[in-house]
Amino acid sequence: MSVRGVTAVARVECAKLSAQVKTRVALAACAVGPFLFATAIRVQSSVPEDTLFGRAVKESGFAVSLVVLGFAALWVLPVLTSIVGGDVFSAEDRHGTWKTVLTRSCRRSEVFAGKVAAALGFSSIAMAVLAVSSVAAGLLVIGSGPLVSLSGALLPPSRALTRVTLAWISVLPPMFGMTAVAVLLSVATRNSAAGIGLPVVAALAMQLGALIDGPEILHRLLVTSAFGAWHGLLAEPPYEGPLLYGAAVSVSYAVISLGIAYRVLQRRDVAA
Amino acid sequence: MTPVALEAIGVSKSYATREALHDVDLVARRGEIHGLLGPNGAGKTTLLRVLLGLVRPDTGRVRLLGRDLAAGSALPNGVSGLIDVPAFYPYMSARRNLTLLARLDCTTRAAGGAAVDAALEQTGLDAHADAKVGGYSAGMRQRLGIAAALLRSPQLLLLDEPTSSLDPAGARDVRALARRLANQGAAVVLSSHDMEEVEELCSMLTIVDRGRIVFNGTVDELRSRAPAPPHALHTSDDRAARALASRSPGVRVIPAAHGGLDVSADLAALDAYVVALGRAGIAVRELQRCTRSLEWLFVELTTPPSKLDAAEVMRAS
Repeated sequence: MSVRGVTAVARVECAKLSAQVKTRVALAACAVGPFLFATAIRVQSSVPEDTLFGRAVKESGFAVSLVVLGFAALWVLPVLTSIVGGDVFSAEDRHGTWKTVLTRSCRRSEVFAGKVAAALGFSSIAMAVLAVSSVAAGLLVIGSGPLVSLSGALLPPSRALTRVTLAWISVLPPMFGMTAVAVLLSVATRNSAAGIGLPVVAALAMQLGALIDGPEILHRLLVTSAFGAWHGLLAEPPYEGPLLYGAAVSVSYAVISLGIAYRVLQRRDVAA
Repeated sequence: MTPVALEAIGVSKSYATREALHDVDLVARRGEIHGLLGPNGAGKTTLLRVLLGLVRPDTGRVRLLGRDLAAGSALPNGVSGLIDVPAFYPYMSARRNLTLLARLDCTTRAAGGAAVDAALEQTGLDAHADAKVGGYSAGMRQRLGIAAALLRSPQLLLLDEPTSSLDPAGARDVRALARRLANQGAAVVLSSHDMEEVEELCSMLTIVDRGRIVFNGTVDELRSRAPAPPHALHTSDDRAARALASRSPGVRVIPAAHGGLDVSADLAALDAYVVALGRAGIAVRELQRCTRSLEWLFVELTTPPSKLDAAEVMRAS
């Protein structure tokens, strides 16, 4: 496997993604959605009290970003990870283009690595757009007031911005884990509907599973638990245990899923 | 530079309970157009997929342009192919599709752009290059598939029924292209159902039937394998002539597609049959020796005798 080959495939995948309507719509929604939410919050009289940081959304724009993060961790991030990860391989089956792609000068391993890089890249970019947009929306629409931490301490704007940024960055490992699961389903099922839909269903099932009493270890082994590990960053003093544990679980999901997907693709016969 | 561009030795491939290829050997040399013939489901496309690395053989070895083709490896530079109906990304233009394929060939942006323009021009797609492929006809996709193959400056070109979706002018262009590449020293393997096309283009032939090679050699060698050349016979009473043939040893008579009868027999048996026709009061109006067409030979090689007899009965009725 050569860096040149992987780069070539990744560039081709990026060009394909930029030409697709779904990726543009997804990124546009990530950019615009937080502004719509912040505007709605500002206009309405009530606040989403039952949500973490929901009480503070009219006082601090940083709280808006964290409410968006809390909601996104439940629904949006699993969708964003699968929208490309769950389609990046099966789209070749849908268009019948495997025979076109695999009869060029790139090895299968390079095709695999390039596509995975593109899927992880899209997940990262979507997360970054959502993060930047939610922070910008909060600051522009609500203002840069200090944020009350989960421990009740007041965080000045500069520290609040740092913590919020770290909170967004902390969801990258589980996003990568979910992207890898979507990639595996895309390779194994050769079906984009399954590749995109099943990871979202799986994420929902894991979140429901986390609500059921059971051994703590089982809850921690759910990759979706890592989406909530950022809470520790908003405590005073912050604690990182769940972050590290979540990162380890996410990496495990990614390694196992990508390992199986790679083996399936390598052994696959591209027949009619 | 070795004259052998393609060497497949002992290639076998099975799917579940079906044996798609059994111990297949195929050698194609530079400068020749090698025809690959066989009925539907014979294994031609599977063989081409194995040769292009899309399908892993259970056993056997494939060498392309002097390099062993390993599982999952990249296709050697200079090898390209066209399998079935070519497929591209429908939401992008032909030019964009080819540009991305050139990138997968790790060509530089400038070289890739020039190669794309040249390939589009060679296949007559330059006027439609910026239209989305989703709106292309099957023939235009076929041309685009050929353009994609040309991007790799083929020294070995594997074509699976490349003219099947093309109009006569397009088919003529593809044949001319295959000839030109062969004249320039490339090896071209052409799978086709068009016997006239194969007869016109190919110097070597391989016939596959039910996953096995049933013939491998030149067109002349194939003709020479035929036991006796057929004769076209027109008589005053073809029905009676057929009935008489059934009682004449060494004579086989079937109704011809365009009227009259096709007679297969060696010279002595034919002489005896013609004399017998005269004695029976059946006038021989025309008796002409025919060159055995490839189609005739192909059917003989790939059709079980029981089916041949049934076909003859159907034609007679």
